[in-house]
Parts: sequence; structure tokens; C-alpha cells
Amino acid sequence: MAISVNNIVKKYGEYTAVNGLSFELKEPGVFALLGTNGAGKTTSIRIILGMLAADKGEVLWDGKPFLACDKPIGYLAEERGLYPKFKVMDQLMYFMTLKGMSPDAAKKSIDYWFERLEVTEHKNKRAEQLSKGNQQKIQLIAALAPNPELIILDEPLSGLDPVNAELFKGVIREEIKNNKYIIMSSHQMTTIEEFCRDIVILNHGEAVLQGNLNAIKKSYGRVKLTVKAEGDITGMAQQCGLTITEETPNGCSFNVQSEEQAHKLLNMIISSDIPLIKYELREPNLNELFIEKAGAKNEN
Amino acid sequence: MKTKGWQKVFSFTFIQYVKTKSFIISTIIMALLVAAMFALVNILPVALSKNDDSGEIGSIDTIFNYERVYIVDETGVITDEGIAELFANGLKAERTDKSADDIVAQVAKTEGVQAAVVFTADKNTNGDIISYTQKTFYSPNGGNMASSLSAAMTEFFRNSNVKRLGIDPEAYAQSQIGINTRTIEAGQEELNVIAGMLHYIIPIIVSLVLFMLIFVYGNTIAQSIAIEKTSRVMELLLTSVRPLAVVIGKVLAMGLVSFAQFLLIVVVGAGSMAISAPFGIMGQIAPLLSNPELLAGGMANAAASGVDIGQFSIAQAVGGILEKFTPVNILLIVLTFIIGFLFYALLAALVGASVSRMEDLQAAMQPYSLIGVVGFFLAYYPIMFNAESLADGSSGTNSVQIFSYYFPISSPFSLPSAIILGQFDAVQGAVAVAILAVFTVLVAMLVSKVYEAIILHNGSRLKVGDILKLAKNK
Repeated sequence: MAISVNNIVKKYGEYTAVNGLSFELKEPGVFALLGTNGAGKTTSIRIILGMLAADKGEVLWDGKPFLACDKPIGYLAEERGLYPKFKVMDQLMYFMTLKGMSPDAAKKSIDYWFERLEVTEHKNKRAEQLSKGNQQKIQLIAALAPNPELIILDEPLSGLDPVNAELFKGVIREEIKNNKYIIMSSHQMTTIEEFCRDIVILNHGEAVLQGNLNAIKKSYGRVKLTVKAEGDITGMAQQCGLTITEETPNGCSFNVQSEEQAHKLLNMIISSDIPLIKYELREPNLNELFIEKAGAKNEN
Repeated sequence: MKTKGWQKVFSFTFIQYVKTKSFIISTIIMALLVAAMFALVNILPVALSKNDDSGEIGSIDTIFNYERVYIVDETGVITDEGIAELFANGLKAERTDKSADDIVAQVAKTEGVQAAVVFTADKNTNGDIISYTQKTFYSPNGGNMASSLSAAMTEFFRNSNVKRLGIDPEAYAQSQIGINTRTIEAGQEELNVIAGMLHYIIPIIVSLVLFMLIFVYGNTIAQSIAIEKTSRVMELLLTSVRPLAVVIGKVLAMGLVSFAQFLLIVVVGAGSMAISAPFGIMGQIAPLLSNPELLAGGMANAAASGVDIGQFSIAQAVGGILEKFTPVNILLIVLTFIIGFLFYALLAALVGASVSRMEDLQAAMQPYSLIGVVGFFLAYYPIMFNAESLADGSSGTNSVQIFSYYFPISSPFSLPSAIILGQFDAVQGAVAVAILAVFTVLVAMLVSKVYEAIILHNGSRLKVGDILKLAKNK
């Protein structure tokens, strides 16, 4: 299976929500669709799901146009939705039969996920009687119980406590092991970094950074320096041409032009007899890349 | 296919709706009310006529309980012999020379049971009498017999006047035999009094019931779709089915609920009539209903056969309606209900899909409500103008009524009763149903064009103009 998103464009009147987005999911794994609020993520997801028609471009499943309702796709929407007055089991059975599952298969699968997500006791309650976190688990069951090949998770961990967030992460890891194709959208960059192989960062509907996450990081090189010492190193940093970008109890952060610049500062600190507690030279993380790409464009 | 999966939406919506407490309770209450109403309509006329026959209420005998009845005669018609005759018959009548005001004041103050009857003559400028007036004043304790006394004194005064004028009382009685007048539009069915009443009442009741079943369920559909959209359940549904399948499944499910309630009203009403028949008017007229020749023979023929004329009138009116329930007419009524329901339900679905917040639904429903209320009033109100001609015995309809049978926003409410009452024949009914069907198809085309676009629209509420613009752009 492969999903190709080819140059999709969506406009609402004069406003361009998505402008020429293209990416491909050739093999199982997690693909991250990132962007600031209003960047075009949800519109892109709706186009992939066939809920919205693109003004230009196409979305292909194994090289052919497709209807989401005819394909095994699981979707956890950003804005959660359940029928508040209906029993949880009734509505999950409804969602599964809409997916074409037989009642027996649906029940078996739902029961498995009830156990896995530790919500069996709530199966006969009305949705409105459940906490927000438990409602989110029911939504995840609705997305995963049909055993879909493609799973789209829009902000899957938002609003979850650390225990339940870990439970969700465990489920996502299992789905990756089961060779599922996952498109994940989130503002929690550490989570994305934990799971994603490929990313696209959208800003005002356009892709501003795209590709394999490790390759992107490597292309930047080790340009993030963090130093913590028991004395003032500001003067030495200035002599090396470095300016502090952030100062925290964990040390001072710098953007370096080259690794030599960082090594020069290290040598100066050692020579000065100021005790050095921490020295870290690394590639930028996703959060830094995101702020650089999405934030910079926003400032413009 | 755009509608694939509608059956699953249909069965889920239907099952979940009929499981709700509000539906179960309202259906039970409605069935009880319908059963009680039909039983009352059947039993009440018989019960009331029994009471009338008993003579316990409003009997003329009660007027003898008056301790004194003062008579003030300013007309010169009443003679002393006449008053003496009244007294001899048991009414404690007494002529008084006091003025009307004085005797009325006296009666008002008494603690006993008294009355004062004042006769005056009304004259024109030439001094000729043009009418007489009789006023009966009763003491605070004498009110319950006053109308009987008034009736008896009117009769007494008339007889006194007949005697005064030297007219033979028997000849006078003959001359007073009533003449019934009827004004009937040529070519229209002539109705008896009961049939005239039914032609007035049935359209009002039928239009009201249909309005409740069609319009109220339309509201429910709009609300249900708005809840799915605003709670974001719709986004989950749309990964499995197309929007049109959701709306079709939902509309048909609610249509089935509404149609089931429509049938429930018919079945419970008929059952209640059948069960209460032995105790009510239906039991009395059943033998007449099973004798079409007698019904067709007319009232004089029935009277000659010894049939109770009151029962005959009812049987003739009911029989006239029952004979309209031909298979073609029943089919037309069912089609009107189904297509009319779809017309309103699709409009309601469009409204429900146009809002992004539940708070906006009420405002969004205003154009829909306006259409429904206008349709209902077009079906309901013109009947009021027919009261006079129906009382005259003409089954004629006015032009606004005819318009309402063809006009698609009112025909779902008005056409069924027109068919039941024979105001529209099968061909006219079929034309009206066809017009309704054409408009319903147009609404369905509009819905299929714009529904997918508006169901995922978030933000400000879409107005009618926005929706039409979307349809144009498609």
C-alpha cells in the first residue's frame, strides 16, 4: 500500500488554506503533519479523507484515486465527537457496522480494545457520563477497532494525563509494529520526534520544511550548543563570536556556525579554570526546527 | 455511490430514537389521548341525549318552585284570565302595577325565590308595534330555573297574543312549522347538518395532526443533524459514509417513526371506536351504515321506514366519508404524507447542517418555521371562511382552499382531508401529489448539491443566500 498526496490546493474564497502540498507514505510508519494553528493541517486531513474536495491536485491510494469510505481508514479527529446521550457500546457498534464489519467481528474487536485501553467498565454508560480522557479512549477505539491500514491521528495526546498519554503511546507503538501507516498531527513535538520518520511543516497552507526527520536534522549539523559552568562565560562566548540565545538553570544556549566555534569556546573555558558542568553540542530538535520555520514565517 | 450505507444510518437512527424515554412516553400519551378522544366522540352524544330525555335538567316543572312571579305587562296583550290560568296551572304568577324598576328592585332584595317578568312593546315613529321584548329578572336564589321560566313565559305571551288577535290556535301552530333553507353551489355535494360539521372539523383536525407529525419531526431531524455536526460525530461518520447517505438514512428513519405514529393514530382511533361502539353512536348507526340503499334513499324515505332521523343524519355523513376510502384515495393520502414529510425533512436537514453551534439552530430554523407555519395556515385558515356555506349544506370549497391543495408547502397538511371529504377527486389529487413530488425532487437536488459542502462548514451560520450561492457554484 502507498498513499500519495500530489500538489493539493484548497481555497475558501480568497483565502488559500492549502497550497501545493505533496508527500508520500511508501512504507509503514508515522508521518507527521505539523503546523501552527490555522496552517492547513485539518483541511489537508479532510482532503485526504475525501471529506473535502481539493480545488487542485489529487490523493492516490496505490496510485489510484479513492473514497475514504471505501478504504480501511481509522480517524481520530482533533475535536472529539461522540453521541452524548447514546450508550458507548451502541455507538461503537454503529461506527463499526458503518465500516462494514459484521456484528460479531465488531463486538470482538471492540471488547479487545476496551480491555487494552482499560475502559471495559464504561461500555454500557452514556458518553456524557465519561471523563474527557475516557471519551478520548472511546474515540481511539472507534478509530482502531476496524483494524484499518491507514490511521490518521489528529492531536491524539492532547488533554491526557501522563499515565493515559503513556497508554496511548504504547498503542501507537503497537500499531507501528503491526505495519500500519499513520499520519499524525500534533503540537507536542517530543511525541512527534518519538514516533515520526518523515515530517512536513505547514505554514499558511504551504510546506516550509519537509522530508525525513533525521536527514533534516543532519542537514543542519550540530549547531545547538548548551554550556553550564560555575563561572561567567559570557565574555568568552563573545570572543568566539557567540551570543546567548537562552539562559536557563540548565545553562546557556548558543547557535553556532560551525563545530570549530563550539570547540574554541570549550578550550577557552578549560584554560580559564572555570569548572565546567555541562557541554552539549547537538543537532536542532524538532521543536527548534518548528519554531524556526513556522515562527519565522509568522513573524513575516 | 453517494448513498452507500444509508441503511445502517437508517436502522441506527430509528432504533436509538424509538428507545428514548421521551419518544416512549409521548407515544403512550398520544395513544391514550387518541383512544379517549375517539371514545368520547362516540359515546358523548348518546350520553348527552340520555340526560336530555331524563327531564331532570332544565325541566319546565322547576318553574313551579318560584314562590312568586310578578308580571309587568306594558303591552296590553296579557289578560287577567290568562294570569289566572297560569296560577291555576301551578305557577304562582301575579300581575303587578308597580313600575318595572320598582319590582325588579324588590325581587333583587328578597331572600326568597322570586322572579319578575317584564313585557314591553317596541314601536316605530308611526306608533306601530314592530316587536315585543320580554325580560325575566330573578332573585339571587332563583337563577337555576330562570331560563325555563323565560321560555314558558314567551310561549304564554305568544298564546295570549294569538287569542287577542282572534286567530285559531291550531291554524297558528300549523303556520309556525319551520322551513329549512339551504343555499348550495350547483354541482357540489349537498350535505346534511352533521356532514357540514364534519366538513368543517375534519380538515382542521387532520391539518393539525399532519402539521405535528411532519413539521415537528422535521425539527427533530434538524436538531439531530446539528448535534452530529456540532459534536463532531459527523467527521467520524464521514470516514465511513458520504454525507448524503447520512441525511437519507436519518430522514427516512424519522419518516418511519412519524409514519408509524400516523398509523398508530389511525389504528388506535379505529380500535377505540370499535371497542366503544356498543355504548355509543357508532353502535347505533352501524346497522344503517351496512344498508347503503337506505342511506342513498334520503331522509324522507328513512323517516317513512321508521328510522331515527338524528341517527340517519349521522350515518349518512359518516357513510359519505367512509365511501371515499377507496384504494386509490388511500394511496394518494399515504403518498401525500410520505412525499410531504420528505419535502419538509430535507429542508430541515439542510438547516441542521448549516449551523456550527447549537445556539445558532433556533435562528437558522426561522425560515423553515416560516414556511411550515405559512403552509399550515394556508391549510387551516380558509376553512373558517367556509363555515356559512357548510351550515347551508354546501360542500363547496373556496379558492384559497383549492390553492392550498396544489401549493407544495400547504398540500401535505390540506390535501388528505380534501381527499377524505371528496373535495378533490382522484385525478385532481394525483395532480396535487405530482406537484408536491416535483418540488420535493427539486429540494432533494438542492440538498445533494450543497449538503457535502455545508456539513463540514465551520464558523458563522450559513444563510439561505449562502446556500443558494453554493448550489449555483456547484
